[in-house]
Amino acid sequence: MRIRGDWVPWDPTIDFKLLPGAMGVFEIADEKRNTLYIGHAGGDDAFGLRGELYNVFGFPPGSDKWNWTHPHPGAYPAALRDQAHFYRFEVNHQYYSRWIEALTRYSEDFEELPPINNDPAIEQPPKLGRYHWKSEDAS
Amino acid sequence: MDMKRSPEQQLIIDNVRRLIREEIRPLEADLDPDAFTLKPADYERLVAMVKDMGLYQMGVPTEYGGPGVDIITQTMVAEETSQHRAGLYAPAYEVFGASPPGQLYGGSDYLKERYLLPTMRGEKSGFFGLSEPSGGSDPARAIQTRAVRDGDSWVINGGKLWNSGADTADYGIVYVRTDPAAGRRGITAFVIDTDTPGFEVRRLVQVLRSHYTTELTFTDMRVPHENILGEEGGGFALANDQLSFNRIPYASACLGPAINANEIAIDWAKQRVTFGEPLANRQAIQWMLVDNELDIRSGRWAALDAADRAQRGDPFRFEASMAKILCSEGAGRTVDRSMQIMGGLGMSKDLPMERWYRELRIRRVGEGPNEVQRVVMARDILNVRSGS
Repeated sequence: MRIRGDWVPWDPTIDFKLLPGAMGVFEIADEKRNTLYIGHAGGDDAFGLRGELYNVFGFPPGSDKWNWTHPHPGAYPAALRDQAHFYRFEVNHQYYSRWIEALTRYSEDFEELPPINNDPAIEQPPKLGRYHWKSEDAS
Repeated sequence: MDMKRSPEQQLIIDNVRRLIREEIRPLEADLDPDAFTLKPADYERLVAMVKDMGLYQMGVPTEYGGPGVDIITQTMVAEETSQHRAGLYAPAYEVFGASPPGQLYGGSDYLKERYLLPTMRGEKSGFFGLSEPSGGSDPARAIQTRAVRDGDSWVINGGKLWNSGADTADYGIVYVRTDPAAGRRGITAFVIDTDTPGFEVRRLVQVLRSHYTTELTFTDMRVPHENILGEEGGGFALANDQLSFNRIPYASACLGPAINANEIAIDWAKQRVTFGEPLANRQAIQWMLVDNELDIRSGRWAALDAADRAQRGDPFRFEASMAKILCSEGAGRTVDRSMQIMGGLGMSKDLPMERWYRELRIRRVGEGPNEVQRVVMARDILNVRSGS
């Protein structure tokens, strides 16, 4: 099962309180809605999905006045930030297995991982399995 | 039963304990709290270390080139390998090697050559497929997946649920109805390759624990007759024997997180001061720690008693069920009490307790719900035994 929900264009002026600070999985796409990266906000990621999304898209001017700062800024490759345009996410306490599920679905449909997930600087998933079937809209 | 460990058992336990405490636990500091695999380089290094100890795939019999560690020692080891954050469902992150499904030892030479030996060499892995959406506790009635003979092969239609590892496995042992009129004698075990046309993993099923499970469908899946494991119609007995046997180390493994949680709680109770005194001075806390000890020790004794009977070749289904109940329920209570002693810290992902709490809940259902274990015991008590 892919991550559900419509793609949302990143808006740097969004009120950060609208982004959940919870654990979960997220997906980042370029302007053509091609998936670039599937990630997770885990149990030791400060600020949950909110923190990870800001870390991907970058913190807007004035964010230094916020009452929180990401402990690992710049943890994602610049190539991701340069191309990132859309996002979607799912709050999910079982973020780790859901992350693997979403990556498995993608790699089965497209026979490779999303491009940024292949970056050696990124946390590599455990061995992914196979479904032996593709999604209807897989190209 | 002699509860004293032999020198050989003590040596094995010491080595396993050292590996868990000095190698595995430090590595977990750099892993996601829900991770169930090590980084590849760490995994390779620790597997090599285990092979040097002579404990890789310790359940594999000596005639197949394995260490042939007996069921009593395996039960003791299961209590040790689960004493870390991921330990309940990824004991020692599998650096001790995944032993082949026990049913394969009773298979034909063809099945041994094709599945058993490659699994021992680490070239293949298998999954177990018994439960279906229609149920799992009563497989003789619940199995609806059908196999129909067609020449030299069988055509299988249906599906399975709760198959851990099926998405990454090379083969599976699945239990299928071959004769609808024969009740439990109409169930047959097949070994199926996961690349067989018609085999599909429909979804990864997210559950309480960190590692998912799967739902499978079989559509006109053609399997050779020679892939029948055991006798045609003998699948139910095969599954039953193996499940009872597996239930013993499964029970014992529950104790690892309980022991670990109890240790953390004891340390905390001694150092945490409230209202001018350490928690350890409060009778409420002392009783919780005593109850932890009671649960851990009663579970351990029950598991070793079941293992001892299995080792001697005596009937052990009653004792295996008892061990499963005592260990899974007692370990759950122990982690729960330990979290209570820890306060807010016990609820957080800073400590492994919240993970153990979630995962131990599954153990009261997995490998046969505890209510079914009580049914098994009640049958014996009412029909065969007097109680001792």
